[in-house]
Amino acid sequence: MSLELVCPAGTPSALRAAVEAGAHSVYCGFRDETNARNFPGLNFSPDELVEGVRFAHAHGTKVLVAINTFAKAGAMDAWKAALANAEKAGADAVILADLAVLDHAATHHPNLRLHLSVQAAAATPEAIAFYADTFGVKRIVMPRVLSVEEIAKLNAAINVETEAFVFGGLCPMTEGRCSLSSYATGKSPNLTGVCSPPEHVAYTEDKNGTATRLNGFTIDRFGAGEQAGYPTLCKGRFVAGGKTFYLFEDPVSLNAASLIAALAKAGVTALKIEGRQRGKGYVAEVVRTFRAAVEAIDAGGTEVEVGRLLSGLVEGGRQTSGAYKKTWR
Amino acid sequence: MAEHFRGELPRFLRILAAPAGFLPLGPALTMAVRRFARRKPAVFDRLGEYGKCSFLIEPSDLDVSFLMVPDGVRAEVKCLRRRASQTADVTVRGPLLVLLGLLDGTFDGDALFFNRAISVSGRTDALVALRNSIEDAELTPADFVGATGSLGKLVDRSVIGGLGLARRFTGSPIPGEPS
Repeated sequence: MSLELVCPAGTPSALRAAVEAGAHSVYCGFRDETNARNFPGLNFSPDELVEGVRFAHAHGTKVLVAINTFAKAGAMDAWKAALANAEKAGADAVILADLAVLDHAATHHPNLRLHLSVQAAAATPEAIAFYADTFGVKRIVMPRVLSVEEIAKLNAAINVETEAFVFGGLCPMTEGRCSLSSYATGKSPNLTGVCSPPEHVAYTEDKNGTATRLNGFTIDRFGAGEQAGYPTLCKGRFVAGGKTFYLFEDPVSLNAASLIAALAKAGVTALKIEGRQRGKGYVAEVVRTFRAAVEAIDAGGTEVEVGRLLSGLVEGGRQTSGAYKKTWR
Repeated sequence: MAEHFRGELPRFLRILAAPAGFLPLGPALTMAVRRFARRKPAVFDRLGEYGKCSFLIEPSDLDVSFLMVPDGVRAEVKCLRRRASQTADVTVRGPLLVLLGLLDGTFDGDALFFNRAISVSGRTDALVALRNSIEDAELTPADFVGATGSLGKLVDRSVIGGLGLARRFTGSPIPGEPS
């Protein structure tokens, strides 16, 4: 069976772009703190999701709804409403991370298919078995810390589907456990759905170039013509040991296109493209290219040159195979 | 500091475009945005509180700039011939053809920023909200002139085709390809 291509949609128009470009599945979220891309102007209202699901299903595409932030103690209503609205819209699955949200879904929405978000950071057979046995989780989105060999071993030890990121923005930290954004701004992707919330980001230009500030902290400075990255602390440039450099990770995008066949052989069910915060131009281009790459491998053909085709869309102008090949610093 | 971006209009086109500063572009664009707000109010719901923010759009290859407050049916667009003293909540600067490509979704805003094809300053949250709202609006050239039906399709085909040719001619960034 062919690999399932799971594609991002931050808006209804991006959903249509992803579907028309050949997505097998599209993932999206509601316009609130229940998902990890809670940016101004982004995401779906409940009515927009109903319409989006109708459009996607009419084209044979599935819709997965990300409700993947961690619910606040004593204030779970938004997460409960998101689950109910996803089921009402006819979503094919929900992508969850929080134990309370998983429990509520398993108890009150038994017909909803549950996928475990990368935010849950489940990377061991024991953790995955717990989620599968306790809540009936059917698929795990794997943390981006595993090599292909480790994924193959993991798949041999579990009885649920696995989904692997293959393109887009790359968190060098373990998802769901990173506090860098919280430290600088008081908000994080884990709780409020935003890493480096834009109201805390400022770009200022002077004769030395452009400075990126996050809540008053200067986290990078780049000269004219120098490639830029997202304004996150993990991709910031700092002074350490007398040197100024990207301390945690360079601004770079994941591109595992060259590993698609290896991931399939390792037992992966689905390939995920990151980028719900990106425009429909990005979505259409990336989905079309990866669909061609998957089909070429299915047909036993030659590899599509994904890296060259998408080089203008990537963060920092560079691409990496990330942990899949374990060549990180 | 004068910035130069890839894809700017060549000098002879800038000279040809200079008289545009004397045209009543502000009132025409104000009417177009308000007309669009009446037709697609959901776009401005998505923008929310940021509709009251001011956005200064500065084509780096023209001597005019545009100050917009996209407040739905109360939207205002001013065409300014001198940009030096103007302040706004958000400023976006880049070649005209690239900025137009952001409007119709030809270009991805993040990719243009990574590649330094545009520069931004001011309230990033307002800019992100506007970018996402425009992204979902699926704006077409016909929306700006109020054309519908077959006339609208003709306008879209002609303008989009013309812009594509112009981008190739000026060396604008191509979606997916490095700058």
